[in-house]
Amino acid sequence: MNIRCAKPEDLMNMQHCNLLCLPENYQMKYYFYHGLSWPQLSYVAEDENGKIVGYVLAKMEEDQEDLKHGHITSLAVKRSHRRLGLAQKLMDQASEAMVECFDAKYVSLHVRKSNRAALNLYKNSLKFETVEIEPKYYADGEDAYSMRRNLSHFSRKKDDQQKAEE
Amino acid sequence: MPSSKSLPPKENALFKRILKSYEQKQYKNGLKFAKQILSNPKFQEHGETLAMKGLTLNCLGRKEEAYEHVRRGLRNDLKSHVCWHVYGLLQRSDKKYDEAIKCYRNALKWDKNNIQILRDLSLLQIQMRDLEGYRDTRYQLLMLRPTQRASWIGYAMSFHLLVDYKNALSILDTFLDQQQRLNNFDYEHSEVLLYQNMVIQESGDLKQALKHLKTFSYQIVDKLTYKENIGDLHLRLADWKEAEEIYEELIDRNPENTLYYKKLIEAKRLTSESDIIDFYGKYAEKFPRSMPPKRLPLNYATGEQFRVLVDQYMRKALTKGVPPLFVDLRSLYKDGQKVQIIEELVLGYVQSLEKGNKYSETESSNGPKEPASAILWTYYFLAQHYDYLNQTEKALAYIETAIEHTPTLIELFVTKGRIYKHAGDPVEAYLCLDEAQAMDTADRYINSKCAKYMLRANLLKEAEETCAKFTREGVSAMENLNEMQCMWFQTECALAYQRLGKYGESLKKCHEIDRHFAEIIEDQFDFHTYCLRKMTLRSYMGLLRLEDVLRGHPFYFKAAKCAIEVYIHLFDSPLKDENAEQKLNTENLAPAELKKLKNKQRKAQKKAEQESAQAREAQVKRDQHNKSRQQGDAEADAPQLDELIPDKLARIEDPLEQAIIFLQPLQTLARDRIETHLMAFEVYYRKRKVLLMLQSIKRAHQVDAQHPKLHSCLIRFLRVVKDNQHNYDNAVSEVITTETKTLLSTKDAKTLNKEFLDSHKDSLKAALEVAIVMYQLDNKAQKDALSLVQ
Repeated sequence: MNIRCAKPEDLMNMQHCNLLCLPENYQMKYYFYHGLSWPQLSYVAEDENGKIVGYVLAKMEEDQEDLKHGHITSLAVKRSHRRLGLAQKLMDQASEAMVECFDAKYVSLHVRKSNRAALNLYKNSLKFETVEIEPKYYADGEDAYSMRRNLSHFSRKKDDQQKAEE
Repeated sequence: MPSSKSLPPKENALFKRILKSYEQKQYKNGLKFAKQILSNPKFQEHGETLAMKGLTLNCLGRKEEAYEHVRRGLRNDLKSHVCWHVYGLLQRSDKKYDEAIKCYRNALKWDKNNIQILRDLSLLQIQMRDLEGYRDTRYQLLMLRPTQRASWIGYAMSFHLLVDYKNALSILDTFLDQQQRLNNFDYEHSEVLLYQNMVIQESGDLKQALKHLKTFSYQIVDKLTYKENIGDLHLRLADWKEAEEIYEELIDRNPENTLYYKKLIEAKRLTSESDIIDFYGKYAEKFPRSMPPKRLPLNYATGEQFRVLVDQYMRKALTKGVPPLFVDLRSLYKDGQKVQIIEELVLGYVQSLEKGNKYSETESSNGPKEPASAILWTYYFLAQHYDYLNQTEKALAYIETAIEHTPTLIELFVTKGRIYKHAGDPVEAYLCLDEAQAMDTADRYINSKCAKYMLRANLLKEAEETCAKFTREGVSAMENLNEMQCMWFQTECALAYQRLGKYGESLKKCHEIDRHFAEIIEDQFDFHTYCLRKMTLRSYMGLLRLEDVLRGHPFYFKAAKCAIEVYIHLFDSPLKDENAEQKLNTENLAPAELKKLKNKQRKAQKKAEQESAQAREAQVKRDQHNKSRQQGDAEADAPQLDELIPDKLARIEDPLEQAIIFLQPLQTLARDRIETHLMAFEVYYRKRKVLLMLQSIKRAHQVDAQHPKLHSCLIRFLRVVKDNQHNYDNAVSEVITTETKTLLSTKDAKTLNKEFLDSHKDSLKAALEVAIVMYQLDNKAQKDALSLVQ
């Protein structure tokens, strides 16, 4: 398994992976929008044949009033490749890039109330905190947890590196 | 230059309000103002007003009236840049880009410095890859707007696209000079620098590229891309020490990237098996949670060393319970020796685990025991192992043992299904997946796999119902999946319909997929402007290059292959005229039976009518839905595509021409796949195009000279040539003679067939093709032919 930043030619295969795994789907144009607006933020996990087995599709929220922060649009790992820790590794790489390129202070995401496996990953492995419940966030009427993860430890890492280089 | 027919102040003010209404998408108001001008008898033929009225009508979906008004407007004012621009916009909205370009050019004749028209023109030129035209238009835009960043970048990119690095770089230099003087360092500036570096690298000047990166390192925020490029450049310049340092840093940052390890090995110039394994060993210690340092040495190790490493690796995974262990190791199965070692080890585990919860009997007295799940994962591994080796019975035995051990593990049923699929039993396979799916209805992955297996068993309705559990409510699953561009599903449907002989339905799915590709190419449009603003130029260049080869994606290949096969089939056996067929059948029926049949037909017809009425109704609703959704959207005037009607598709007059439409992208983008050229041969064979047949054969020959299907093509080609040689003109004959000489040892089909058989004695596929050819060449040879494949 290999984890690397996504390229334009990965986007179609990410869409394929998304359609296999998740109920929230998007047309190709939305993937292009991510890849062309924030090329550093999306990551893929691929097997030895270059087949995409997991991905994270991420963006920046460019809302002037709020603190600068990233947002996870979609994260999926094929069921056939679970328990390798891929989701966490994908998220960490995306988060680091958010800090490095866009000076993000935190990263946010939404998760279905019923998706306990994902909730567990975000809460326990990735130290996300629930900010609020967004009622009927999903098309089918399900509520979402709105979650955030503070990224200041990545900022410190960035500062340290800059000092080291100077 | 103002239009020759200008309006008096009052009407002119109204005209400006039409323009404003158009920009603000207040189309009804626009029409109102237009009416006020046109109702004045003096101005009822005012060209620009008529044109604008047409454009407004187009946005309201009244296409015919739109064209009528725009054309009338233009006729009345051929020297108006507005009329020409409007006509161009109308054509653009119909995706007639070449026509639109001509209109814009005419518009520019009358107003050569009109920024809006130049911008619109440049977008069409880049979309159509009229690169020289694009460069010229970008030049004019730069001259008119030299203070805008996008003007400089767009002009530079046009040279880059034309592979004129020198000019591209000098424009970028001039532009960046100004920027640097302003001290404008931010993300966007950083992206421009990285783009500049990309151009330098592509120009081949690696040293300059390296120097450039280092000079501007403090202005580049994307440190990852920076380091990846620096590392790669050092490596290509053989600066080993420097490359080493960079790749070490990159691994520290992302120890899951396999490429970094491989590059570091290159930089350290490690070549021996033991050095490489030691290297990974050190990283395994440094990053105990990372996969590559543990997994990659298995690719290099051989013999005893491999046994030791893979033993450790598998034990750890089986203890922890890592379901993907087999998929992770599968790529090692290319090596027979490794397969054998793995098999011996895992069979050993089973034996010891069954006895005493240990991986080997020698350890039975010491240490803690393995968890009870270890044996389960071991059975699971062996089932996949034997399945991969096509030993179906063993595979099934292990998966059954595993299910007996833990009947609630979904993965086991998925694997059981896969074993049946590989063994050629799609029905049993789908039943297993259906069971798996029922155990976790909230998991879309299992749901998708189940639907796929249903389609492999030709169960289209069931598959759609299964998918419907995860598609949006209110629309059919089929429709939602099409809207979401779910190509795997549509391809599997197309193939199922093909197997069922429902050719029209199959073609409909293939065309839907083709339309996704057309749409994805269309998607570029907005990004031409967007990326020049955002400055994400490397990715934009990546997008342009991707779109140029988009139909090279395997999804397109699969759908196109299906479509071509169906069209060839429809050429060989066209659908019969339904009425004629009925008459034929009824002639042999007794009156009572005939009555029954007619009743049945009446009912069927009634049902079909009802269904199509429902479908029409649904279509109307859909259109309304789409309209309401798109209201206020700039693309609301996008053309409606023709509805794909299966029966019409299957009864097309020129199936081979249709096949060629699907074939052409493959001939440029899937040249390395022999199927492309074999299909091309089949099409041109039927079209009696001898030179194109020859071309297909030559290309296939380059990919795989020994392919059995190519053999059959060669023989048929020889026969065509032999039968028609007197009809070819001299030049054609000469080409055929020269080319066949290089391809074949002899021109005698029978000899050739025998030679092919002799040199492919062990291949069943070759024997089959030889047998078919043998019978085709001489139908008295039926017995001999059959004996080859029995």
